[in-house]
Amino acid sequence: MQRETVAPRPGWRAHVEQDLGFAFHTIGGEPYWDETACYRFTEKQIDELEDATAELEQMALGLVDRVIATGEEAFERLRIPRNAWDAIAGSWQAQEKNLYGRFDLAYDGVSPPRLLEYNADTPTALFETAVVQWDWLQETAPERDQFNSVHEKLIEAWANFGLQGERLYFSAVRDHGEDNGTTEYLRDTAIQAGLLTDRIAIEDIGWDGREFLDLDGQPIRALFKLYPWEWLAAEEFGAHLLSGVARVIEPAWKMVLSNKAALALLWEMAPGHPNLLAASLDPSGLQGKQVRKPIYSREGANVQVLDGARVIDETPGAYGGEGFVYQAFTEIPSFDGNYTVIGSWVIASQPAGIGIREDATAITRDSSRFVPHYFA
Amino acid sequence: MKKSQTIKLALLGGASLALAACGDDGPPQDARFFADDKECSAVYGDAPCKDAEAKADEVHLTQAPKYEQREQCEAEFGVGNCETRQTAGGGSFFMPLLMGYMMGNMLNGGNRFSQPVYRGRDGSAVMNNNGRLFNVGAFGGGSGRATSFRPATQVAQVSRGGFGGSAARFGSGGAGG
Repeated sequence: MQRETVAPRPGWRAHVEQDLGFAFHTIGGEPYWDETACYRFTEKQIDELEDATAELEQMALGLVDRVIATGEEAFERLRIPRNAWDAIAGSWQAQEKNLYGRFDLAYDGVSPPRLLEYNADTPTALFETAVVQWDWLQETAPERDQFNSVHEKLIEAWANFGLQGERLYFSAVRDHGEDNGTTEYLRDTAIQAGLLTDRIAIEDIGWDGREFLDLDGQPIRALFKLYPWEWLAAEEFGAHLLSGVARVIEPAWKMVLSNKAALALLWEMAPGHPNLLAASLDPSGLQGKQVRKPIYSREGANVQVLDGARVIDETPGAYGGEGFVYQAFTEIPSFDGNYTVIGSWVIASQPAGIGIREDATAITRDSSRFVPHYFA
Repeated sequence: MKKSQTIKLALLGGASLALAACGDDGPPQDARFFADDKECSAVYGDAPCKDAEAKADEVHLTQAPKYEQREQCEAEFGVGNCETRQTAGGGSFFMPLLMGYMMGNMLNGGNRFSQPVYRGRDGSAVMNNNGRLFNVGAFGGGSGRATSFRPATQVAQVSRGGFGGSAARFGSGGAGG
């Protein structure tokens, strides 16, 4: 695993905007898509990432099974609100399919990949992984290979949801470029799988006392939402959604995995696993330096790096109300002064590819840059 | 091989218009969104873009939906997406803000296609085709892209806004991570 400095394609901005529809390559005036560098892996390293991802997903699914079998006590440890328990168990027992997830891994090419966290419910950086870095490689070195069949696997996955004949609505926060770009890309793959689709802002979803409605008054019976389950469950229409009146993707059982307390339960289930970091809901449960993460949070908010009682590093934010999980500290590998985290994707629970994010700090935030990769 | 063999896009990027252009009232296949004459000139040159902008402006002024109250306009097009204008008699009304125009170089009976585009309430791009409104895509990070064509229709009365509050409460505005 090496970081290589490379020349960006002349005119790449116009190309990715016009030919790919990639509108958020620059966020808040700062570069987000960064093709001034790329990462080179060996085939063996890619195999190791793929195997670790497959194993982590199997453990994660095993944890869902275990939590639902345990019931109340496990749900409470995960801080999952009581009104969601039945929906979670019901969606799991009905074997509702899931679409995707992203494991964030610390990996330096030498030691085993270690799970930092699992974004199981609302992962983004998907379009960049699936299309933009693929297009970059096809344009710059098409003879090279890349760990990335995300696009093909998404189209395959949609065909297996049993949604033929149903209109599937894609929903995200209004006017958020990155979230809407991700959602439109997913809709694109669903259309290619032959599904009937539409889109609606999450704020525009209507409720007439019986069912959810779009802006034309048509019923919404199948919904892909790039919006966290724990938010949906807590909001005004949450109870209606939890009643099962619409099919939701990701399914409700992803709530077991989308909160970071699951990291502690994974460690309890498989202590010492080489792809896991020690984690506990109790700060005294760990030795040495540790990282405190809110049970519910996104984009690296409210993270603290602790050495005993001393805070070494921290990020701001509005999260943490549900409590924290404590994870053993691991160095985030740095290459040429950039801290690198690998986002390893599962599509329909199968390993599908990686996307690399670099940041100037060890806590990856929404300010990070996406850097492409290849292997040889 | 661990990479996708081929990637086609149905909605995003260059493929979108060819796939979506099928209705009689939608823009022609080569129509693209331009925010201003500078963007347009880079593709078609100065003179056609000046013509196109003038034509879109005229359609906008004469055939944009007009509302007595700002709230009525914003209910259709979203908060901040409407402007006020004076009538000849000294009154005022509200109409959607012009965001740019769809332009195609394809000549149809000697007329180049050019129609104004507004921002819709869900971030959609709404084209005013001589008085009829069409959803022609979405506004992403500043530039418009056609994604679909469908006539805008009136909305039934139901309660809305029961989702979305947390995103604003937690800061960044987005919900993905």
